[in-house]
Amino acid sequence: MTTSALKRGPTPLRLALAAAGMAVGGGLGWAIGRLVKHGQLDLSGVGWSDLAAATIAAMLLATGLLVSLASFNARLAGRMMDPNSDRPASPAQASFYRQQGAVMALAGIMLAAPVLARLLWEPLPAQLAQAVMAGIVALFLLQTLLNVTVWMRADEMMRRMIAESGSVCFWVLQAALFLWAAAEKLELAPALSAWDLMTILMGAYLLVSSLMSMRRGFS
Amino acid sequence: MKNRLKVLRAERDWSQADLADRLVVSRQTINALETGKYDPSLPLAFKIARLFGQPIEAIFDDGEA
Repeated sequence: MTTSALKRGPTPLRLALAAAGMAVGGGLGWAIGRLVKHGQLDLSGVGWSDLAAATIAAMLLATGLLVSLASFNARLAGRMMDPNSDRPASPAQASFYRQQGAVMALAGIMLAAPVLARLLWEPLPAQLAQAVMAGIVALFLLQTLLNVTVWMRADEMMRRMIAESGSVCFWVLQAALFLWAAAEKLELAPALSAWDLMTILMGAYLLVSSLMSMRRGFS
Repeated sequence: MKNRLKVLRAERDWSQADLADRLVVSRQTINALETGKYDPSLPLAFKIARLFGQPIEAIFDDGEA
């Protein structure tokens, strides 16, 4: 039976994932709103890049955990790969998914750690800052190893998408960086911190890689 | 680039996943190839040609002929 013969509308899995995403996102937004409203959480001193980084981190962590957990069920992993097929994922495919999920989850933790540390401890003790940084470096090394493994296990189209996303990001962001730096030098634009730039880079990469994936027919 | 992958696959009653397994690529790659959203590398094009027992130009059409 061909895959096209199995084509159908929105699958129950997709609808369930969309509903779960809306429920978690809505619940989280409501809870944060309540905490801010009752003065239990003060976000007035939090910069735009911290908020953006925390949002991206939450998305990465949630998606990474979801993908990792789903990969333990062969049928669910198969549905994630191809919602129009009932074919279960092979052990190799499931472990590849698990690895990708781990990469995303680790990225989310690393992105959130500095923001949360500054939010929870003000002023942040030097020893604690060093401990958080040591943890980030350890996770970074682990994530780099996983990233290299994902690259090695990926097929040629996925490698091309990763490479194209990197190229587009480099050309677009180096142009934007040059223009911003020139404006900053001329005192026409405010200075950006390394964290601001990193958050923009991360957001841009996620956006570009999503567009690249959609262009190749991933949904 | 146009290609006859979908026809060749249908003639053998293979699913996209079946063809993906034979070529050691993902099912998404087969879908992108069939819909013209991705052009294969030369090694993959040769692999496809060998699998179907046909020359590359009988499967892929760059519109120049």
